[in-house]
Amino acid sequence: MAPMRRESDTDHPEWFQKKRKSRPLIVARWVPIALVGLPVATLLAIVIYPTVWMFYHSLRDTNIQGLFMGTHSHIGFSNYADVLGSERFQDSLLHLAQYLTFGACLQVIIGTVLALTLYEFVKSNAIRTVVLIMLVIPMMLPPSIVGVLWRFLLTPSNGAVNQALLNLGLIEQHIEWFNAGISLWSIIIADSWNWVALPLLIVYSGRVSLPPAVYEAARVDGASQWKVMRRITLPMLKEVIAIAFILRFTDAFKFVDLVYIMTSGGPAQSSELPTYIAFQRGIREFAVGEAAAYAIIIFIISAVIITLFLKYMKGVMRARGFA
Amino acid sequence: MSGVSLQKVNKIYGSGADSVHAVQDLDLEVSDGEFVALLGPSGCGKTSTLRMIVGLESITSGQILFGDRDISHLDPQDRNVAMAFETYALYPNFTVADNLSFPLEVLGLPAELQRKKTDEIAELLRITDILQAYPPELSGGQQQRVSLGRALIREPSVFILDEVMSHLDAHLKFSMLFDLKRLHRELRRTMIYVTHDQVEALALADRVAVMSNARMQQVGDRNTLYNRPANVFVADFIGEPPTNFFRAEVAYHDHDTIISVMDSDLTLQPGTAAATSLRESQRKEVIAGIRPQNLGFAETAHFLTADVEISEYLGERSMLTVVNGTTRFQAIAPPDLRVNPGTSVRLYYEPLNVMLFDPETETLIA
Ligand SMILES: Nc1ncnc2c1ncn2[C@@H]1O[C@H](COP(=O)(O)OP(=O)(O)OP(=O)(O)O)[C@@H](O)[C@H]1O
Ligand SMILES: [Mg+2]
Repeated sequence: MAPMRRESDTDHPEWFQKKRKSRPLIVARWVPIALVGLPVATLLAIVIYPTVWMFYHSLRDTNIQGLFMGTHSHIGFSNYADVLGSERFQDSLLHLAQYLTFGACLQVIIGTVLALTLYEFVKSNAIRTVVLIMLVIPMMLPPSIVGVLWRFLLTPSNGAVNQALLNLGLIEQHIEWFNAGISLWSIIIADSWNWVALPLLIVYSGRVSLPPAVYEAARVDGASQWKVMRRITLPMLKEVIAIAFILRFTDAFKFVDLVYIMTSGGPAQSSELPTYIAFQRGIREFAVGEAAAYAIIIFIISAVIITLFLKYMKGVMRARGFA
Repeated sequence: MSGVSLQKVNKIYGSGADSVHAVQDLDLEVSDGEFVALLGPSGCGKTSTLRMIVGLESITSGQILFGDRDISHLDPQDRNVAMAFETYALYPNFTVADNLSFPLEVLGLPAELQRKKTDEIAELLRITDILQAYPPELSGGQQQRVSLGRALIREPSVFILDEVMSHLDAHLKFSMLFDLKRLHRELRRTMIYVTHDQVEALALADRVAVMSNARMQQVGDRNTLYNRPANVFVADFIGEPPTNFFRAEVAYHDHDTIISVMDSDLTLQPGTAAATSLRESQRKEVIAGIRPQNLGFAETAHFLTADVEISEYLGERSMLTVVNGTTRFQAIAPPDLRVNPGTSVRLYYEPLNVMLFDPETETLIA
């Protein structure tokens, strides 16, 4: 056999050579600039500019009139001081903590339990699919529908939930779902119904992709189902569950829609989350400067929490030798 | 501790048109403490058989007994078996040490004892240096040894080892075979060892079970398989290089039985026992087999004459490919033999070494 030879330019057929001569491979000077420039410009326009704009106004006493007339003045960090010092904001942080713990976190935990239960105890693929589809339907509804639906369901006098609880004998009186102290719980219930399928889907798909051979080995080694769950399944799903947490946490900081539709933060601001206040102050009351300060503070809190999470995940991955 | 007995075991995967009959009417008796190797070509159903013994695969029909206990339908957890998987199946989230000690953790052994046993087994398998590593970081051979270690660390009634040395270099394999053999002698536990490497199987096992095409072909020790193979498949599969087979006609003379190979002028002299049984059955055609090792240059009364076609020098020996008419066959020659292609040679044999098979059923006649 003849030794292998790399084809050189001279081996190309004539038509190719011609084509190459007539069309130089080096493109016009503006092409690379445009290719890089367009995305950069877009990024500047929709991310960087608004962020800088927002930060600028968080340092000024901008209101609606000032915004349009250009009459606003620098007031240093007093917007921040106002926000951090206000009882309304401090209460809303407590509400956020309540929502993160019993909304976001619990959703991930319930979603994980449901996903693993579905995988371990339902062996028929058809039934699994049907259950998954049913669980996913709430996620496909727009927030306005979810909010209105749950307002109906939770109506104290003749709402379906109270009726059901009464009929089951679990309560003796109507629960006043939209009273202070309870209204945030109502929002959390509606939100959980809406979103529990997201962590469920994430964890379920993670479980499906775990290698079955490992489970066979564990069975031969004599491990009980519980032992397998605790020592093998959950540790192997750690990253997947962390991703579900991150998704629900990032959503928590943007969570306005159901609050607005179901309670408008009330009664007496008892179900307000920080983002809702920012929305209320900025969009409805036009205190642009203060709303901007809210937004920046929320951004910092969420950035800190998410960064801690990512750090944790990196640590996990490194410990396993994957990164 | 117990023996293993498979009785008419069948495994059919799937159903209808695309079902696979992976194991067919398989019988196998392994006595308590015995080391049996399951040998056969790829895809013949070895792993399927093991998975049924372990309980990871349901049995389509038949019975499996441990001792005299029918375990055909027990969960793997309740069978007290240990298995090393062909695909390793290590726990990716455990270190090597944790992988090894997991079976002990399940048994609830104290941590101190777990650590001691882990160190012992790691020493035996030469993986002490990687005890803190995670499986994805290991080479194939290292993972294979961890998987073997996880099976050996317990003392179950039956060990099932599926191709546990296929990824090791020859040197390491040799010393580990030796260690495994020694371990078996110490533990005296029943072991079933799957491989498609006959050298491994013959070196390790008390008996070798040869499978092909979902069926058990023959179970026996080295001599039986080598000298009295049950059929053409076993004769062909066991021994390297493979046996020479000839389609031949039988002629009966007064006190002589002569086997003449078709498409050549070769004749073979069968052994006395074979000749007698041929005479009794008066069959006209046979498949005759003779191993290349049993054809040589040391003079005896019987020989085959043929022309040398190729002479290959293989280090410790030479291999001759010779031709007579259109019949080609092979013989082992001393390494220093130099013959030019085209030379006519006489290859001597003992009639005792001529194996005769029925041309229809391919089973051994005598
Ligand atoms: N889960 C399964 N579903 C369908 N067919 C299978 C399954 N497992 C094995 N088979 C088929 O059964 C036959 C025997 O497979 P098996 O794995 O037992 O072979 P083997 O002897 O272990 O081969 P190897 O030496 O390559 O490991 C093969 O034809 C294979 O395709
Ligand atoms: Mg196999």
